[in-house]
Order: sequence, then C-alpha cells, then structure tokens
Amino acid sequence: MIFELNGKNVGVEAKPTVTLLDLLRGELGVTSVKKGCEQGECGACTVLLDGDPVTSCLILAPQVEGRRVLTIEGLVDNPLVRELREAFLRNGAVQCGYCTPGMLLSGYALLRDNKRPSEEEVKTAIEGNICRCTGYVAIIESILDAAERIAPD
Amino acid sequence: MKPLTGFELLRPSTLSGALELLATLELAWPIAGGTDLIPQFKDDGCESKHLVDLSLIRELNGIKMEDNFIVIGPMTTQTQVISSQLIEENAPALHEAVKLMGSPQIRNRATIGGNLCNASPAADTAPPLLVHDAEVKLTSLEDSRWIPLTDFFAEECTALEPNELMTSIRFPVVHGASSSFQRIGRRRGFTLSVLNLAVYIERDGKNLSEVKIAVGAVAPTPIMLEKVERELKGMRMDTNLLEHARKMVSEAVNPRDSARSSGEYKREMAGVLTKRALSAAWTRVGGKLP
Repeated sequence: MIFELNGKNVGVEAKPTVTLLDLLRGELGVTSVKKGCEQGECGACTVLLDGDPVTSCLILAPQVEGRRVLTIEGLVDNPLVRELREAFLRNGAVQCGYCTPGMLLSGYALLRDNKRPSEEEVKTAIEGNICRCTGYVAIIESILDAAERIAPD
Repeated sequence: MKPLTGFELLRPSTLSGALELLATLELAWPIAGGTDLIPQFKDDGCESKHLVDLSLIRELNGIKMEDNFIVIGPMTTQTQVISSQLIEENAPALHEAVKLMGSPQIRNRATIGGNLCNASPAADTAPPLLVHDAEVKLTSLEDSRWIPLTDFFAEECTALEPNELMTSIRFPVVHGASSSFQRIGRRRGFTLSVLNLAVYIERDGKNLSEVKIAVGAVAPTPIMLEKVERELKGMRMDTNLLEHARKMVSEAVNPRDSARSSGEYKREMAGVLTKRALSAAWTRVGGKLP
C-alpha cells in the first residue's frame, strides 16, 4: 500500500488488523502520534487525513491507501503551527505533553478554516482531545492567542 | 483491550461489488465509519472474518434534493451533514443532533447510516429522522425495498437481512414545518445521550396542524409517541399546551433505570425536553409564545 505521509509517498505492508496508529508508531517511527485510550475518545492519536482531524486508532491501515496523512512532524515549518506552538509555550499550555501533538493538530485544523474563532468554537474544536493534566484553560487561551496573532486586523 | 485479529478487509468500489461479497463470503460484515465497530472489536473481539468497507462506494455518499425529498447516502459523514445547508434549513433537528454527536475527529469518520444500523437505543440521528417521517432503502443483490424508519428498529437488531445493506435515507421537505432536537448528556461535549428527543411541527396560524415526537433511550428502540401526537394535533400553541405536552410525554414513556440514569429522571426530563423542543420548533416557524 502506498500513502502520503507528511508530504512523502511511503510504501508499506498494511495488515487489516493493524490500526493507522500502530502503523505510524510501530513501523514508521512517527512517535508524536500518542497511544492513549485506543477507543477514539482521548484524541492523543489525532492525525489529519486529507486535512481533517481523525483518531488514527479507529482507522485500519489499508484504509489510508492513496490518501494524505499529516502528523505534527509534517507541519514543523508551517507558519500557523509555529504560531500555535509559540502560543502554547507562552501560555504554559504544555504540562505532561501527552495531549499536545493532538491539541496542536486540532487547533491547526480550526485556525486554518476559521481565522477568528470564538471561545466556544475553540472548545468544540478540541472537544475530542482530552488533557488529563486538565490544563484546558491555558490551551484554549493559546489557540485564541495564536488566532489573534495571525489575524489580518 | 484485545488486539484486532482474525479478519480480512475488503474495499469494494461499487455497491454491487459489496453486495456480492456480503452474499458470498463467510461471516462477512459491512463496516461504515468504524467509530462504533472498531472499539467494539477491541473490547469483545471480532466475530467477522471479512469486513466489507463501504467507504469507497461513491453512490452511498452525499446529500441531494430529489422530487421534494431530501435524500442522504448512508455513508455521508456527520461532518458532511453539519455543513449541508439543505439539512440545516429543512431538518433542523437532524442538524442539531449531529452537531452534538462525538467530536470533530469522530464526526469526520462516523456516518449517518452507521449510526442507524448500529441501532443503539440512544442513537442521536434516530429521533430527528423518525419525526421527519424518514424511510430507508434496504438493498440486496436480488431486491430493493423502502421501509419507514419506524419499522427499521427492533429490539437489539434491525430489519436488515444478512445480505442487505442500507443504501439510502430519505424524507419529505414540507413547507411551514420545522423541528428541534434536545438531549441530556452527562456533560455537554462528546458524550452519549442519556436521553434524546426530537419534535416536528407544522404550523397553521396559532395552531399546531401536525406534531411528531420521537424519544431515544427510554425503550429498547427509539420510539414515537403517537398517542401524544394525536392529542396535540390541531391544538392552539401556548404555555398551557406546553405544560400539557410535558405531562403527557412524561406519562407516555416508561424508561428503566440504567447505568447512566434512573428511569424516574428520564421520565421527568422527557417532558422537559418536549417543552424545550416544541418552543424551539415553534419559534423557527415564526410562531410567538406569550
């Protein structure tokens, strides 16, 4: 099976009983994608599939054939992600860090499509990402902060 | 949690291809978005030997208007339903229900047909589609049939035969009609409904010329409250009617105690949600409440 991972085509053997999460972590060494609940509830394994946030623990590896998968590694140089990352640092939005890659991807998908989200829209965007340190306030503020900085006035 | 094991994944690109696989392979199951099934396989193991993934079948996806019906492909994702103006304008209850389901990650995968075919008593898409008088099309290699959604749900199963797939969902567009969805969850975001309810109304001046009420999670299947509907039909909409409707709905449902709530709480809240839904739908059709 061939799919696009972070802008590059990769060819792998995709077993139907392996999730995209395990394929990414186990076989492709993409360790920003975290293994949490494995039930689609916690959002630690969030990736962007053709641009949309999905939980990679609920996707079977062969289902991404021919599709684009982005993890936070693939967005290191993205200006919007850079703003988000800096806002997370400035606002102390990272405690243990386990939820952070997923939070950044959900935040990125939101700000990419909606430059000036309301607080309510930010909450909806990250409702599928659990922060077990319960640092939600700082995370929400960081996403709003990043939105403020990228806004064209 | 168990490792996933014991199945092959087949990914047909046509409906006839999928039906052929389901009819010929041993222990073949269809899989839609997988947001219910995959966690279930991890908890309980997977009895199926052949999962037939429906996600590449184009004709099962999309929302369109056809002869005054809104027609929804069962593989349409919840995200697609949310972004459909056709749904938002003509079936606000369905729009509201889907917005409250899951999380963005789940809504990007989960499908409307999957929600119906999984047939949870608390399925959030069921009450809105029931009150909008939806029908579903069930298709096998030999045959195709439309049945009312009310006949689709049965206790712990559905009307689907083993070789059948749900291939379409439709409901009529009625001018001067509106609807509303209300639910109770243990929290606001990303939670299963403890109780859900949808109301559909048609307005004639100050009166309700049509009323439909469907409730989920109070019985083994989502149910419609026909007796209450008949009682309210034709009545003048005011605060007395709302109070009357609240009492009647609370008396009409008989939920059991469950892990998520007591039956008594659900019974009370079914009445409260009815009031909220009737008021919201009434406002949407331009009605005023004194």
